[in-house]
Amino acid sequence: MLLIPNVQIILFIDFIFFILLFISLTISTNLVLKWNFASNSQVQYGLEKQSYLVSTIVKYIFFMKLPLFLFFIYSLDSLSDLIVGAMCSAGVIDSSSYGIPLLILKLVNLYFFGFWLIIHYGDLKFKDLRLTRFKFSFLIVASISIIFEIILEFLMFESIDLAKIAVCCGSLFSNASVSYLGILFEIDTWNYLYIFYLSFILLFVSFLKRHDYMYSFLNIIFITSSILSLIMFFSPYIYELPTHHCPFCILQKEYFYIGYFLYISLFLGTFFGIALIISNMIGGQKRFYYNFSFFFICLYVAFVTYFPVSYYLRNGVLL
Amino acid sequence: MIEFKNITKIYTENQHKILALDCINFSIKKGQTIVLKGASGSGKSTILSILANMTRPTSGEVVVGDTRVSKLSDDFSSQYRLDNIGFVFQKYNLISSLTVTENIVLPLIPTNPSEDYVASRLDYLLKLFDILDKKDIMVRKLSGGEQQRVAIARALVNNPDIILADEPTANLDDKLSNEFIQNLCELKKLNKTIIIATHDPLFFNNSIVDKIIEIKNGKII
Repeated sequence: MLLIPNVQIILFIDFIFFILLFISLTISTNLVLKWNFASNSQVQYGLEKQSYLVSTIVKYIFFMKLPLFLFFIYSLDSLSDLIVGAMCSAGVIDSSSYGIPLLILKLVNLYFFGFWLIIHYGDLKFKDLRLTRFKFSFLIVASISIIFEIILEFLMFESIDLAKIAVCCGSLFSNASVSYLGILFEIDTWNYLYIFYLSFILLFVSFLKRHDYMYSFLNIIFITSSILSLIMFFSPYIYELPTHHCPFCILQKEYFYIGYFLYISLFLGTFFGIALIISNMIGGQKRFYYNFSFFFICLYVAFVTYFPVSYYLRNGVLL
Repeated sequence: MIEFKNITKIYTENQHKILALDCINFSIKKGQTIVLKGASGSGKSTILSILANMTRPTSGEVVVGDTRVSKLSDDFSSQYRLDNIGFVFQKYNLISSLTVTENIVLPLIPTNPSEDYVASRLDYLLKLFDILDKKDIMVRKLSGGEQQRVAIARALVNNPDIILADEPTANLDDKLSNEFIQNLCELKKLNKTIIIATHDPLFFNNSIVDKIIEIKNGKII
């Protein structure tokens, strides 16, 4: 197993999370089974106290996971120096079969825990804590998902073989790629762009019309089309290299860490967009979710659009 | 109307369970002055603490008006205390580095009231408890009786319906204790519900007291 300091830190924090999640999972199951707010029994008061404990644990995990996710990405980049052939995080992720599922699961779990916090704060606004049972049922699913993530993370670091030559991002994100990413390159690049802007226009329309469910659903389409179009169309303009499609190199110092800004805008925008459904369920402030979500989405769109437009204005051609 | 329904409170310390209240039941009507009588450790302060929802019962329920107090979450609990409860502590719990005025208006800060409201409320309370001339003095420079009056004024600044006093005369001499009783008379005129936890005999045969609830080993006797 690769045990560089960054990996040790990640695994150590994972271990702490694992213990905390085990506690919260046990209590959550008990809460779901025995919760009865109308009761004044000792058991119910005990559950009410325990629900505060679990909420504190989840808040701690969430606020640790946010920087830890960025640290994970940063660490993958550091690992690329040790793995022959890997030029950035992409090579490291590809060097283990657990890499891509882990990355996706990490993102999904961040969304899950963010949604849980919204439900939690919504629940506290009701005197009868009417969302508690649902909240802890949701937490059970989220906790299992995080435990699965921890296992995958361990397996990923365990399975990286330093003796094996990794594929660099230039080969990985190209039509010569032997991985399933190669399929992406069989579709015309412009199609990704059309879908990206079309989903943005539809988002804008549903934002104006305040179609809550449509807006949330379109956010799922938008995040998918954004990542695909970033790989297939926008990234060559950021690198100013027609064959460089890597979504990870933009996180490097050479590109002024621009990727962090792009991804944070995209994830914040879509997070609040999807969370609109949850806000609907708990009677939250819809206006806040709409405005916050659309602001970050516009920021992302403006930013990625800037690169090809700027390139075209300077060179008179597109890549 | 305040109702205590089957309230039990067990404190756990080093795995030892201490039964502070054992299935307590009683009710108090609005505007009544109640004395909780009992020796130290009998459970008087626990009753006050549960009524203010600073402590949750182990089982049972406290209902104030139509609010199930012991079921309130932390946020609602804070709001409930802000709106309904004024607390006078045995040792006053004033902030010694602040003036009389600053101590009194402190509970108003979360409600963000207008300056005019604060000024009028302060003026009313300073006059009511005869401490107008002390308003800019640091509380640590006041006598025990004066500090007690500041503590009562602070408890009243939010205009709560319920005043809780925990051993209010324990640190006062006879003269100041009688002065405190006079202050309670003022509160009674305002139709406040007053609950005093004490073992001071001064309260037991006093005309302002409507009911005495005697507690021994966590039970009403």
